[in-house]
Amino acid sequence: MSENNLDRSRRKLLLGAAQGAGLVLLSGCERMFNGLQQNQAFLSLLESAEGLNRRLLRAVTPRNKLAQEFNQGDISRTFKPNGNPPPITMDYVADAKNNWQTWRLEISGLVKQPGRFSLAELKSLPSRTQITRHDCVEGWSAIAKWKGVPLTEIMQRAQPAPAAQYVVFHCMDTDDNGSSYYESVDLLDANHPQTILAYEMNDRALPVEHGAPLRLRVENQLGYKHAKYIRKIEFVASYEKIARGKGGYWEDQGYEWYAGI
Amino acid sequence: MADLVYRQNRITRTTHWINAIALIVLFMSGLQIFNAFPRLHWGNTTEPEEAFLSIAATNDEGDVRGHTELFGYRIDTTGFLGVQNTDLGPAPRAFPSWLTIPGFFWLAGGRRWHFFFAWIFTLNGLLYIIYNVANGHMRKFLLGPKDAALLPAMALYYLRLRKESPQQDEYNPLQKMAYTGVFLILTPLIILSGMAMSPQLNMAFNWLPSMFGGRQSARSVHFILTFLFVGFTFGHVLMALTTGALNNMRSILTGWYKETRPKPEEEPVWLETFTEEMIKKPAKIPVSRQLSAPTALEASPAPEEHPATPQAAQDNGTPSSESANEQSAPEPSGETSPTESKEAKKDVGE
Repeated sequence: MSENNLDRSRRKLLLGAAQGAGLVLLSGCERMFNGLQQNQAFLSLLESAEGLNRRLLRAVTPRNKLAQEFNQGDISRTFKPNGNPPPITMDYVADAKNNWQTWRLEISGLVKQPGRFSLAELKSLPSRTQITRHDCVEGWSAIAKWKGVPLTEIMQRAQPAPAAQYVVFHCMDTDDNGSSYYESVDLLDANHPQTILAYEMNDRALPVEHGAPLRLRVENQLGYKHAKYIRKIEFVASYEKIARGKGGYWEDQGYEWYAGI
Repeated sequence: MADLVYRQNRITRTTHWINAIALIVLFMSGLQIFNAFPRLHWGNTTEPEEAFLSIAATNDEGDVRGHTELFGYRIDTTGFLGVQNTDLGPAPRAFPSWLTIPGFFWLAGGRRWHFFFAWIFTLNGLLYIIYNVANGHMRKFLLGPKDAALLPAMALYYLRLRKESPQQDEYNPLQKMAYTGVFLILTPLIILSGMAMSPQLNMAFNWLPSMFGGRQSARSVHFILTFLFVGFTFGHVLMALTTGALNNMRSILTGWYKETRPKPEEEPVWLETFTEEMIKKPAKIPVSRQLSAPTALEASPAPEEHPATPQAAQDNGTPSSESANEQSAPEPSGETSPTESKEAKKDVGE
């Protein structure tokens, strides 16, 4: 009996010790992980996976393979308008009031034909309509119908110089600190047939909360690449000189430039 | 004799620990990613009212509570899920900071960890599989039809409803089922469901999310499989701790394992070999060495034979007195202990 009791209390002691050790280990882990999280060298190591992912995922994607397109009946009832609140600048509000007649899309940078497009001009160009799924980096998905002008149509008219590597989208929305939203894609994604500048959503003019008057759809990447409220498209050789140099608003805050995952 | 046998080679040990680290990081960074949208859905999209699992916080006039809702059943999980108690008071958070990497809320960081260690997990797993297929070890722990038939018996044995283990090979049928499930079902499915969330891979392989029933189904499957992995890991660690924790740790750290179970070829005990062993074994204990001194041996050449069946003793045709032999050999069991043999010798001496 006493041996049994001894056994039991020893077991209790061992269990307690194990629990304690587990807790110490766990909080130690947390401290270690958080410490590593602040370590620049370690962060660069983690970030090295991005290039590998980009190369591999693109290598397995056949050229001009289309993202899945859905049916009218699949369109979501709810489509969360994420990101910054709509712009409230005088220009934006004025442009919205007169139905975007005074708004212009500016094309600049390394192109032979810089210029400006009105919304009516964009609508007169060949268009593409697609019902696609929008995948947010947070995890949610929503399906909508988009109509717009393929980016290739703009590129045919602007004629990018051979040095141009990236297409940068400058937007009208800003965050609380006044930083403007922007995004960039490279020529491979810019030339994809489903990469369009959308001016219609679900058969109606693009709503303000979804980026009126013009937003990007780049269907092989996550939602944050799909710049809203576009005012200027710039062709560049490198995006290192723009904002904090990572190629986009969220990229500047640690998110991957390649958002194919 | 406790034999140290070299059981885990360098590749097994290395891949085991890399896998352990990768799984921990994938689990914790995965929860960080989940926290950005703590709901689960089936199909392709996320209509708010259609979530089958959600973790949320409510604030009722300053009373901040965490709730977890599964198929409409809502439970208060304040302090663990939904709301975490911090030094600064209750904070809304699906999974608590001590379960996520990084500990603070940073989706981008969680993604970096997750996608880096997904590579480590995959490459490490590939190395392990290729190595074990090449050396033929894989065959030993994959469940075959013969093992499947033994599964109920093995389960009964574990539940202590059956005395003898039906184990025939190096791994028992339940072990084989667990390993086969993890290798052939769990691992491929968790990798595929993870890949099915990638927009680029959805473009490359339209069937990838469809095979799960949509991208959100894939996300839910990924989450559920995670907890099957956690369950397997807990079972694995529990087994390792309860079947000789130190010995198991030595084996997975250094490769050397102390073999205590008799080897299968030693199990059937033949009379001839048995008598020899009986003499040898007590001989290690000084006291019994005195007892099995030449006098005892000469008086009755093989009193130690008693554990064998009386029939076997007769077959052997020992010249010892029949009565003494019958009295001292009531147990047909093949096992013996020093005390038993001592008593037997006393009988003979009288």
